[in-house]
Amino acid sequence: MLLSRVADHLYWGARYMERADDTARVVRTFTEVLLDLPTGVASSWEPLLAVAGSRLAFEAGHARANESDIVRFLVADQANLGSVVSSVALARENLRTTREILPREAWQAVNDLYLFTARDAESGVDRRTRSRFLTRVISDHQRVDGVLSGGMRRDEAYEMWRLGQSIERADMTTRVLGVRAAALLSAPEETDDYDEVQWMGVLRSLSALQMYQRATRGPIDGGGVVSFLLFDEYFPRSVAGCVRRIREALRRLPSTSRTEPSVEQLADALARLRTDASDGASLDAAMDELQVCLGELDLTVHATFVSGAE
Amino acid sequence: MAQLRTASGFWDELIDGTGDPRPAAAALVEQLKELGLSELQQRQDLAELDIVGMGITFTVYSDGRGIDRSWPFDIVPRIIAAAEWRRVELGLVQRLRALNCFIDDLYHDQQIVADGVFPDHLLEHSVNYRPQCVGVSPRHGVWAHVCGSDLVRDADGTMYVLEDNLRVPSGVSYMLENRAISKRAFADLFARQSILPVDAYTDELKRMLTSIAPEGVTDPTVVVLTPGVYNSAYFEHSFLAQRMGAALVEGADLVVDDDDVVYMRTIDGRERVDVIYRRVDDLFLDPEAFRPDSALGVPGLMRAWRAGTVAIANAPGAGVADDKVVYAWVPDFIRYYLGEEPLLPNVPTYRCLYPDERRQVIDHIGDMVLKPANESGGYGLIIGNRATKEELERAVADIEADPRNWVAQPILSLSTAPTLCDGQLEPRHVDLRPFILSGASHYVTAGGLTRVALRRGSLIVNSSQGGGSKDTWIVEA
Repeated sequence: MLLSRVADHLYWGARYMERADDTARVVRTFTEVLLDLPTGVASSWEPLLAVAGSRLAFEAGHARANESDIVRFLVADQANLGSVVSSVALARENLRTTREILPREAWQAVNDLYLFTARDAESGVDRRTRSRFLTRVISDHQRVDGVLSGGMRRDEAYEMWRLGQSIERADMTTRVLGVRAAALLSAPEETDDYDEVQWMGVLRSLSALQMYQRATRGPIDGGGVVSFLLFDEYFPRSVAGCVRRIREALRRLPSTSRTEPSVEQLADALARLRTDASDGASLDAAMDELQVCLGELDLTVHATFVSGAE
Repeated sequence: MAQLRTASGFWDELIDGTGDPRPAAAALVEQLKELGLSELQQRQDLAELDIVGMGITFTVYSDGRGIDRSWPFDIVPRIIAAAEWRRVELGLVQRLRALNCFIDDLYHDQQIVADGVFPDHLLEHSVNYRPQCVGVSPRHGVWAHVCGSDLVRDADGTMYVLEDNLRVPSGVSYMLENRAISKRAFADLFARQSILPVDAYTDELKRMLTSIAPEGVTDPTVVVLTPGVYNSAYFEHSFLAQRMGAALVEGADLVVDDDDVVYMRTIDGRERVDVIYRRVDDLFLDPEAFRPDSALGVPGLMRAWRAGTVAIANAPGAGVADDKVVYAWVPDFIRYYLGEEPLLPNVPTYRCLYPDERRQVIDHIGDMVLKPANESGGYGLIIGNRATKEELERAVADIEADPRNWVAQPILSLSTAPTLCDGQLEPRHVDLRPFILSGASHYVTAGGLTRVALRRGSLIVNSSQGGGSKDTWIVEA
């Protein structure tokens, strides 16, 4: 038995936690990659805004786009609902009302992280402390995940969590691919020297570098990276891996017949991509299409479990 | 730390009049001296970190916004000897048996009024009497399933009942959390001596709630009904639901259908609810029956309850016995319904309605707390030794003019317990709230929640007003 209201909070709690984690990974990797590149080579911080889907929100409040403004906006700005600190606060706000459902240590980990990010947000902006701050966000989310996977019954509450997490994760992978990968595929020839570093960055921002290397045993090239991040079912951050987990979660939740069409629509859209992810523009458009499918899936989840479960 | 300081004129819970530890507190006092103040302060600091990390909070309102504050905790426990506690327990159970007889009687034949023991005009004035409850018969005749009674100790060591909270008493989760924290702080003492465990409470609560399910329901679905996350006791609602494995629901999660059955809205459709442990006040339970503007409630809940398809704890209307005037009659209830003498005294309460008691009040007005019956929240309260001559003269005139509206109690000297304040151990005033469960049988917590007024001389133990809390140890001495 799971209350509709609680299901909604679990779903969003999971999404916001995942969003905080994903944003932290992307900002951390971006910082590292830019430090590796010589000055003058594509050293713009603006793609970060695009990955986070926050370009318009940022431009509304900022005249210029330098590193610390952008990083502060994405990490420490409470007014930006998509920032790391906001995501953590929203996760906590949702999970506050699910404390009787989640293992106690999970709530404690979320609460710890909230207290830390609320207090030390500025250390996520300063270059010298940024990595430590972002790593703490990531590892605390891993702690929550570990508590749940090691200590929670595989009941409806767990599946709601997994559902929210997988949808959010798929969304981030498509955004990284749609912005970063598409930009690299379309990039002019002269940046080729640093291609490998850049593609490593794409993998790193999804914590996929090591797994990519193990899975492919080959050099790091654009086509291989895109294919891995889209289709490798065994990698949990690939779109295919997320689709698999979404499908599993929905099969264990009630009303599968109502939710199934949305996930199959997403799977079909992914399957159609096998042939046409070759150039930047079409990759970008394809990722847009997947994001639309994810958005529809989100609406279906809400209609099935929250607003229309009568 | 040569000797623990006490305040003259007050009973101290750990130290006797000669400065020696009371027998049940001997091991603790010895340990405090061994530790010294700086080590004790370190343990206090660690405890406070635990509280933040465990997310033990209460909510206060500021600028229209609920803010979570960490639960204020003092590391020095308050100790009661087990032998004394057993007598208190018996007294509390006796009290609850009588209170439940009284409530049940009021909503049925009102025999106690007919017999002239309880004046009927008091009922007419009662703000907590609910005509909507007349004729309902909850199982076991129990209306007040969860009671938090506040106990205070006077200068001579006598433990009195100050009031019975029969509506939605809170604090029990903090009692449990305080124990979890103090076990870490004084692990060796717990290992060496027999301190009664408190952890059974949530199991006992679940057992009690199961015992009041509608007839024929063997494995009832129990839920905890909360006003929501902005309620000051939300932490506790969530805590209790979690410990009982019950769903924590808000009004909007429940629906009463035309069949007068309560259902909750789940991701798989509607599911029947058998027992509701409600932490919502009567008037917000059901907009059909009470306040039509309440958004917290469940339309039709009273219908379902009256039809007997769902049990509600505490029963609607139970608050009629939670009233400072009704309080004065509790010893009479014990004699009238049970034929027993009260085991645990009320604070002597003079009812100005009766001429001889009124005389007592007026003759000793400087030593009395005067309480008007129809005011709540301490409004209109007059404290004899702090009022001016004019105020007292006016009070006498008011009493003479409308004696039914007044009760009075002697001013008590609340006991103290050593408390860590700014790195020093200082005597601070304490009270105690044990919790009593009544269903098919009775259960009393081993001790309860000790609240402490952290400011010197203050008697205000409320956590929203600078009060703190202590773990309470019932020790076999």
